[in-house]
Amino acid sequence: MQFNPCMKHKLIRASARHFAETELAPIAAEIDQHRIFPRDVIARMRQLNYFGLQVPAHYGGAALDSISAAIVVEELSRVCAAIGLCVTVHNGVAVYPFLQFADDRQKEKYLFRLASGEDIGAFSLTEANAGSDAGSVETTAVRNGGSYILNGTKIFVTNGGVCNIALIFALTSLPDAKLQSSVFIVEDGFEGFLRGELEDLCGMRANPVSSLFFEDCRVPEENLLGKPGDGMKIGLSTLDNGRIGVAAQALGIAQGAMEASVKYARERQQFKKPIASQQTIQNYIADMATETMAARLMLYRACELKDAGAPFGCEASMAKLYCSSVASKVTSLAVQIHGGYGYSKEYDVERYFRDAKVTEIYEGTSEIQRMVIARSILSQPIL
Amino acid sequence: MTKQKSIWVFGDYRNYFQNRVTLQLLSKAVDLAGVIGAEVCAVVVGHNIEEWIMEYTAHGADRILSIDHPSLTSYSTEHYLALMQQLVTQRDPDIILIGATDFGREFAPRLAKRLQTGLSADCVGLDITPEGLLIQTAPSFGGNMLAEIVTEMHRPQMATVRPGIFKEIPHDYERTAIVERLPLPSGLPVPRARVIEYERAVQREHTIENATVIVCGGRGMGNKNNFKRLSELAGLLGGDVGATRPVVYAGWAGHNALVGQAGKHIKPKILFSFGISGAIQHTAGLGEANFIVAVNKNPQATMMKMADVAVTADAGDFLNNLIRELKKRIRD
Amino acid sequence: MFNIVVCIKQVPMVTELPWDEKTGTLKREAAAGMMNPACKHAIEAALQLRELYGASITVMTMGPPSAEEVLREAIAMGANRGVLICDRLLAGSDTYATSFALGRAVKKEIPDHDLILCGAYTSDSETAQVGPQLAEELNIPAAAYAEHIDISGRTMRVRRLVDNFRETLEMDFPALVTVSMERYKPRYVSFAGLSRSFDGADIRELNAQDLGMMSADLDACGSRTRVRRVFIRKTAKENVRITGAAAVAAAEFLDRYQRSISAVIGRAIEAKKQI
Ligand SMILES: Cc1cc2nc3c(=O)[nH]c(=O)nc-3n(C[C@H](O)[C@H](O)[C@H](O)COP(=O)(O)OP(=O)(O)OC[C@H]3O[C@@H](n4cnc5c(N)ncnc54)[C@H](O)[C@@H]3O)c2cc1C
Ligand SMILES: Cc1cc2nc3c(=O)[nH]c(=O)nc-3n(C[C@H](O)[C@H](O)[C@H](O)COP(=O)(O)OP(=O)(O)OC[C@H]3O[C@@H](n4cnc5c(N)ncnc54)[C@H](O)[C@@H]3O)c2cc1C
Ligand SMILES: Cc1cc2nc3c(=O)[nH]c(=O)nc-3n(C[C@H](O)[C@H](O)[C@H](O)COP(=O)(O)OP(=O)(O)OC[C@H]3O[C@@H](n4cnc5c(N)ncnc54)[C@H](O)[C@@H]3O)c2cc1C
Repeated sequence: MQFNPCMKHKLIRASARHFAETELAPIAAEIDQHRIFPRDVIARMRQLNYFGLQVPAHYGGAALDSISAAIVVEELSRVCAAIGLCVTVHNGVAVYPFLQFADDRQKEKYLFRLASGEDIGAFSLTEANAGSDAGSVETTAVRNGGSYILNGTKIFVTNGGVCNIALIFALTSLPDAKLQSSVFIVEDGFEGFLRGELEDLCGMRANPVSSLFFEDCRVPEENLLGKPGDGMKIGLSTLDNGRIGVAAQALGIAQGAMEASVKYARERQQFKKPIASQQTIQNYIADMATETMAARLMLYRACELKDAGAPFGCEASMAKLYCSSVASKVTSLAVQIHGGYGYSKEYDVERYFRDAKVTEIYEGTSEIQRMVIARSILSQPIL
Repeated sequence: MTKQKSIWVFGDYRNYFQNRVTLQLLSKAVDLAGVIGAEVCAVVVGHNIEEWIMEYTAHGADRILSIDHPSLTSYSTEHYLALMQQLVTQRDPDIILIGATDFGREFAPRLAKRLQTGLSADCVGLDITPEGLLIQTAPSFGGNMLAEIVTEMHRPQMATVRPGIFKEIPHDYERTAIVERLPLPSGLPVPRARVIEYERAVQREHTIENATVIVCGGRGMGNKNNFKRLSELAGLLGGDVGATRPVVYAGWAGHNALVGQAGKHIKPKILFSFGISGAIQHTAGLGEANFIVAVNKNPQATMMKMADVAVTADAGDFLNNLIRELKKRIRD
Repeated sequence: MFNIVVCIKQVPMVTELPWDEKTGTLKREAAAGMMNPACKHAIEAALQLRELYGASITVMTMGPPSAEEVLREAIAMGANRGVLICDRLLAGSDTYATSFALGRAVKKEIPDHDLILCGAYTSDSETAQVGPQLAEELNIPAAAYAEHIDISGRTMRVRRLVDNFRETLEMDFPALVTVSMERYKPRYVSFAGLSRSFDGADIRELNAQDLGMMSADLDACGSRTRVRRVFIRKTAKENVRITGAAAVAAAEFLDRYQRSISAVIGRAIEAKKQI
């Protein structure tokens, strides 16, 4: 247990912050408003290993520890959460399953491309009738010769509009004739793999979240990740990891909103003095700072467990639950502190406010996190 | 007999601007010399330097040490180092002041090192104790803080001094000084850094974010034509034009001129603010402006209260007059 | 294959400046450190020169133990190895003493150095003196504010802008150059680079004894200047008021401020000489 950042974590943070402030800060508002995915900035991020954060060096990644990876996502999201989302989904739920479940051939084939960011990844579980209830997936994958034929529609796919590689959860029939979900590696260009329009979202607007359609899409057998029927196992394990990323993203949003509020409260004069000198505003700021700090410690604790090889699912859920709720609260207070200006698109806190909400929804809603946490606590043996 | 105390000023004259600093230093040296009973000595080296000998005499030097030789025609740090090292070693001055021009800031550190003494950089204040200790005030941390620096045990005490800080003494061509015309010492080193080319530079291209002078206009400029004249002032000062939001919305200026919360954050050394009320969304972009001149017909406007200099006037009128007056006064 | 040495300094983050009002020194240990921005330009110049001509790049810093951080960052950017000069005896060194120690370390660690690169100035004490003084210490030619460096054989050409003159200088190796912040925009640090820089990077630590700077010759290598105190520039503005007819006001304004404006813009502004 170590509470002070080590030299490496300091440098990781400084580097990511410097990049975010020089490259993302100037465009964050505009790409949000016009729903632009900034390909030129993404191209620069590729060279700096943003897309291979935890991939081993021999696959071209940066081989970072989990706290470092969380810090990167936090710093990106502090400035531009939609790009933080792109990076965390790519690393946390698209690349991670390759590291955990892919065979050597799949790793050789895909990890270099993913780690270099040449290919952007997506993770696609959600369907119209399968949200919180991930077991209700209806997309099918029917075996045909050396391939599977996929049919169905996925929705709310982060990076959907730009991904080159998507992990698709679809039902396969097992030898015992039971239907079980399996995970398929689908590449851009596979026949019958189509993309829908970009969603017009409340927040995270610079991320090309879209639907994906599969119309008799032929996927070679060797693109099955893990074994047939491994879908649930892969999904749950991946989401445990993904939640660390979403927590980091929420934390970054909270941090950004808090900093903006502190600055504004010092500058804004009403009643002939800065509003920061009003006790009510001070209380807001104290709460924002305290809860953001608590969120950060909780998140790093989950990271530490993960790197130690210990079970971390429950802690990841706690961190996700808490960080996202702090993000929502802090961004709402940030708008409050900014008054009418905070409700205007000219100020960043308005964007933070919109972006924060979804961290309580995706990769398991807060309700689902509580379910996971409670299940884990209640399942512990009574001594 | 005690040794005559002496404060030296290095004659830096390559362009008008550098020469001005030398004059400002002479004036400050005269002040300091008064406190400790020292003479003020200007060192002038180069070729065809009679003009500078006269000028430095007229501006307060008691003594001039000059070396005039064709081999000194162009500025050479290494030549000057060798000459100064010799002169200082022979005559042992108490203090050497050098303008913090680009030349001075490259030359002075090497000289101090050779003389094995201390040096403070880019001073904005100089004081002296009756005992002769030079208190050198230099900016640090981007000018946010000031440091007081002294060289206690070693002599001479050396400082480079920022241009524009001290006021020169009006010239007096009746003044006289002891002018020592010294021969070029033998054995001057061949410079190891050879100047291959040099030419006067044209203005460096800049953007509003890094411009040192910005002329901002607001609704108080009245109309687009008045607003356009701001660029004339900016041009004279080598600066850029900024605008408030209403002005951008009215189409008097492009969006990339917008200064403030929703626009550019600027950090000019000098900011002119014409007809701007000073709304927080605008002033949020001015965090680091060093010296603010506001022009407004309303003396109570926030911008006027924030300013270093607040001119109560019609913005367009004042602008026209300022341009006219500046054109009369600017020379190169 | 050239031997390039880049001198870099760790400076406190500007957002927080804890200093000791009594001693007038900075409580450096209390401030988060970062690499001095100008030093990054020097590293970038070295990296670009290496790409063009082949070179081995040693980064060198003198500072507290935490200064190791900037060496790692420089190695992450691409430098080959680092040297940390760290000793309580050297704390509080002025530029004279700093250049002495750096010079000793260069001679000891990279005796066959070809090119020494420094930043133009630091963001904390901003003296811009260390580069030129290090050149003196090593007795080599130097050029400040380089915007472009070309190498041909063992000779280099440096383009620079000084006092509104564009100059090209030529020097033979070994030589020292301080790099302008106008060019050589530093590259970003990659995360793989950062990982590598913590993974068996070659960093050597030297103390005063290693440099042969014993207390006996402390006067030869010790500081010449002393910082008596550091204080915040008073921020209260004067708020000078000028009123009256616009023509008179404009003249009055210039009478009072033309000197400082002239100093900033580097052009002469003068009222007509009175007769
Ligand atoms: C911007 C964005 C990006 C996304 N990216 C991805 C992606 O990349 N990949 C992907 O697969 N999905 C993605 N999603 C989908 C997301 O994971 C789902 O929206 C989320 O899991 C919730 O599912 P749902 O929307 O169907 O809500 P529902 O499951 O219908 O839930 C509605 C409400 O009911 C509550 N609820 C449901 N079941 C229970 C229960 N058992 N107990 C208590 N309360 C319950 C929920 O908490 C919620 O409050 C994304 C969504 C968004 C908005
Ligand atoms: C969400 C939001 C974001 C914003 N972001 C920005 C921003 O980034 N940048 C920005 O600039 N604004 C921004 N604004 C607008 C800002 O609030 C102000 O409205 C604006 O800065 C005012 O511009 P102004 O000073 O030119 O005009 P005004 O406030 O109308 O002031 C005009 C001034 O000119 C003076 N004046 C009038 N006639 C004359 C004359 N003949 N001679 C001399 N003086 C005269 C008046 O006394 C007055 O002080 C934003 C507003 C909102 C709501
Ligand atoms: C407020 C304050 C004011 C000061 N004023 C003076 C003064 O007037 N005179 C004086 O002699 N000292 C002064 N000092 C001491 C001075 O800060 C130190 O000597 C410092 O180590 C180097 O000076 P600098 O930061 O100004 O470097 P600069 O000369 O501005 O640095 C230029 C380049 O030199 C190299 N460099 C500088 N320091 C190091 C280092 N430690 N390790 C490796 N490379 C380095 C880097 O390449 C850097 O980019 C002052 C210190 C403080 C805190």
